[in-house]
Amino acid sequence: MIGAIFSLETIYILTAIVLLVFSFITFRDRTNPRRVASAVFWLILGCIFGLGGVIPNWLTGILVLALVALDGVGRVERGRGQSDIAVQERHAHRLRNRVFAPVLTIPIVTFAFAIGFRVMDADASRGALLGLGFGGIAAMFVALKVTQATPRELMVAGNQLNETMGAVNILPQLLAALGVIFTAAGVGNVIANFIQQILPGNNLFLLILANCVGMTLFTIVMGNSFAAFPVIATGVLVPMILRPFGVNPAMAAIITLTAGSSGTLMTPMAANFNIVPAALLDMRDRYGVIKFQLPFAIAIWSFHVVLLWMLARGL
Amino acid sequence: MPLSDLLKLSGIAIVLIGLAFRLRPTLVVAAAALVTGLSSGLPLFSGAGKIGIVDMLGKGFADNRLMTLFIITLPAIGLAERYGLQQQSAVWIRRIHAATAGRLSALYQLFRVIVGALGLRLGGHASFVRPLILPMAIGATEADRGMATETSIEKIKAATAASENYGNFYGQNLAPVQAGILLVYGVMKGLGYDVSLWDLVKYTVPVVAASLILGFIQFALLDRSIHRDSKGAK
Repeated sequence: MIGAIFSLETIYILTAIVLLVFSFITFRDRTNPRRVASAVFWLILGCIFGLGGVIPNWLTGILVLALVALDGVGRVERGRGQSDIAVQERHAHRLRNRVFAPVLTIPIVTFAFAIGFRVMDADASRGALLGLGFGGIAAMFVALKVTQATPRELMVAGNQLNETMGAVNILPQLLAALGVIFTAAGVGNVIANFIQQILPGNNLFLLILANCVGMTLFTIVMGNSFAAFPVIATGVLVPMILRPFGVNPAMAAIITLTAGSSGTLMTPMAANFNIVPAALLDMRDRYGVIKFQLPFAIAIWSFHVVLLWMLARGL
Repeated sequence: MPLSDLLKLSGIAIVLIGLAFRLRPTLVVAAAALVTGLSSGLPLFSGAGKIGIVDMLGKGFADNRLMTLFIITLPAIGLAERYGLQQQSAVWIRRIHAATAGRLSALYQLFRVIVGALGLRLGGHASFVRPLILPMAIGATEADRGMATETSIEKIKAATAASENYGNFYGQNLAPVQAGILLVYGVMKGLGYDVSLWDLVKYTVPVVAASLILGFIQFALLDRSIHRDSKGAK
């Protein structure tokens, strides 16, 4: 019973309820030029959240294609309602530091769950995810208590934030699904074969350069260094660097992985790190986060190449 | 390269072209998934012992719902914003005279490295950056230089989002229980190399140090460019 409450499935169902409420609010929002289609979009996403673990995969797949179709023809819109800055100032003056209570609740509960799971020798990562979910719920109650707002106002405020982000919300999940199909189709093997064919003979520096370029390019395409690493390790790192040169495998492997992180910093395919935050922070430029990260990514990538080369030669 | 291999790469081509032309990313990704699957001879729906493309799409999407979990935090954050979260953050920052947007970003990056080293994973953009770090950074700028220009605010948003990524990506490998380390360990074992988890952590240290130094440099440059923006505005 307790296991069931503290499972991710519970959090998914709670998120589904939030999405259904958002859908209802959007449906009734006369300031939204596409209120019906937008409401259907959030309704479908809510259904996938609540039922994704139960309904057959092909049905989820069709629902996902429906989401894509709705967004693809530009039917997902936001309401035109705005919050008044002067009113915010007045509230800030009245509530003072109490306004922080709800937003502090989220990280505190996240931390508490992660540490609690750690102490009980359970999976701390799952603890943090559960904490984020229950923290979100707890924060809603704290927010209501502190502001004395109505639950309706709470959900309208949440819906407004959700609509600001819009359909880009589903991109990380969609990319993860694309990764599954890429793997099934054997895209990784094709890329590893290609790198092996063009690689320059036995110059260690050029091999290391090719290893890091390949890792980064593949991460840029997949949007995820974790998906790229097995391909590059199998296709390039082990047969072309570790075996012939007897390089320290732990050193070369972990540095190859984080060389790929430069790719993650540069790619819109890593939507959950680069595109969703731009939406979450309401940035004008969808690629603003990536542009900021670009010089850092190039600098630290070069550091990886040099570090790997120096350590491989035994300094 | 054989033709069948080239066809498998068609999905990548679609992604590159689609994003270059700024088509809707959801549509581009779904098209890439369908084309890659079909050109590799996978059926649309499961049958005859083969898993279908639509089935994989649904399973991949449902299995990764945790990526979209932040939606559950939006009502509380939205309500707090309506009740003056950013304004009150600014009040706070005005009291901390040393605070600037750049220094806050650098401090947050360091905090994320420590969190990662403790073996914790946090959905940082939703739980920290949007509700706390960004309002504090904007508050710091406004306390220091009056109204921040729109260009400055855009830069500050990018910087706080980036500091989360910098701290998270490199810091997490400092704990042997984190997904990245475990992935490398598992893959290398599969390839016949029994590496030690602690060796993996050890060789991460210089990379983390470099990431902190580079981050701090970039955030110091950010403060200088905000300074210039506010001068230009006056």
